[in-house]
Amino acid sequence: MTQVLLEGLGAVGIRAARQLVDTPGVDALLIASRSSTRAAEVATALGDRAHAVELRPDDPLPTGVDAVAVSLPSAVVAQRAERALASATPLAAASDDAEAIDAVLTLNAAAQSSDLLIAPSCGLAPGLADVLTRHAADALDTVDEIHVARAGAAGPASMAALRRALREPALEWSDGDWREERHPNPELVWFPDPIGARECAPVTVGAALLVRTFRDVHRVTMRFAEPFVRRFALPGRRGLDDGWGSTRVEVWGWRGQTRESMVYGVIDRTALAAGTVLALTAARLAGAAPGLAARSGPSAGVHGLGSLVEPVPFLAELARRGVKAAVFEGVAVA
Amino acid sequence: MKALRRGLIVAVIAVLVGGFVKLRGKGGVPPTSGGWRELDGPDFR
Repeated sequence: MTQVLLEGLGAVGIRAARQLVDTPGVDALLIASRSSTRAAEVATALGDRAHAVELRPDDPLPTGVDAVAVSLPSAVVAQRAERALASATPLAAASDDAEAIDAVLTLNAAAQSSDLLIAPSCGLAPGLADVLTRHAADALDTVDEIHVARAGAAGPASMAALRRALREPALEWSDGDWREERHPNPELVWFPDPIGARECAPVTVGAALLVRTFRDVHRVTMRFAEPFVRRFALPGRRGLDDGWGSTRVEVWGWRGQTRESMVYGVIDRTALAAGTVLALTAARLAGAAPGLAARSGPSAGVHGLGSLVEPVPFLAELARRGVKAAVFEGVAVA
Repeated sequence: MKALRRGLIVAVIAVLVGGFVKLRGKGGVPPTSGGWRELDGPDFR
């Protein structure tokens, strides 16, 4: 019997819960939340396979859990990863905060020695963007440059992480070293419609996972769009994006003697896309989704999704669940 | 009159500085050809 534990019922967690219950092979979903009443309500709404559990941060994991899906604010993700490590249980989290990802990366050696996989960033970007990057890279012989951009946030905690990322100095991976971003000013990035053109500022979030996945890449940049909100608005009318988000991945490399670029994008409700990616990754780590063949990559350690999943079946399953990727055909312009 | 002239000069300078700051960011150029195509069946084989 395959059991997955989901921690957190925010914007992403609630979507992940629905997706996990709908995943064949997941026999039981244990739901833990700060509010036990809410956990019980959600478990009741999701049917017989979902069960609410009380789980304090210091409690050990319940027995029989095959994977943990964490949809909590980034500040507590490393602690949850340590707990999963102590129980030898793989973990997927939807963190989009550079410090939190770095904190989880410090557990890499311990995860490798425990033969355990930890995926700290299973959201829209980082997360699905890594899968799209892998998909593009598989079509090329070698990869030179990776440029990822994201618009939108998956909820209040994600919005706070996005604002923090935009405030902090940004680093880019350039010729084997971390450097201050060469163009710190915002750049226009063209996302799929209806998001369209948005000014995106450089950030560091998620670049480290891409560099770990694509060891020979010369340049990696990450950019987030400035939040698109009214400064003064009536209650309930603040968000102009209205929950929509997008990611755009541009990969440059060589195919034979030709230098080419591949551009992929996704547009969806940010929380829905992130929740679906988190659920699929947790199911894959629990061994409950045999269709999502594991990439013949690392079998243990802390990794981005570009290392952990085979992009074609993963993207096909996402499309089946309504999260559809698109390819840009024509002239690639960053 | 002098105050009005000073005010106008300040306003003009503010507009020029604002315009410069707004335009100095490196902007992309809209794609002139091509478009987005949803990945579907054949792309997943």
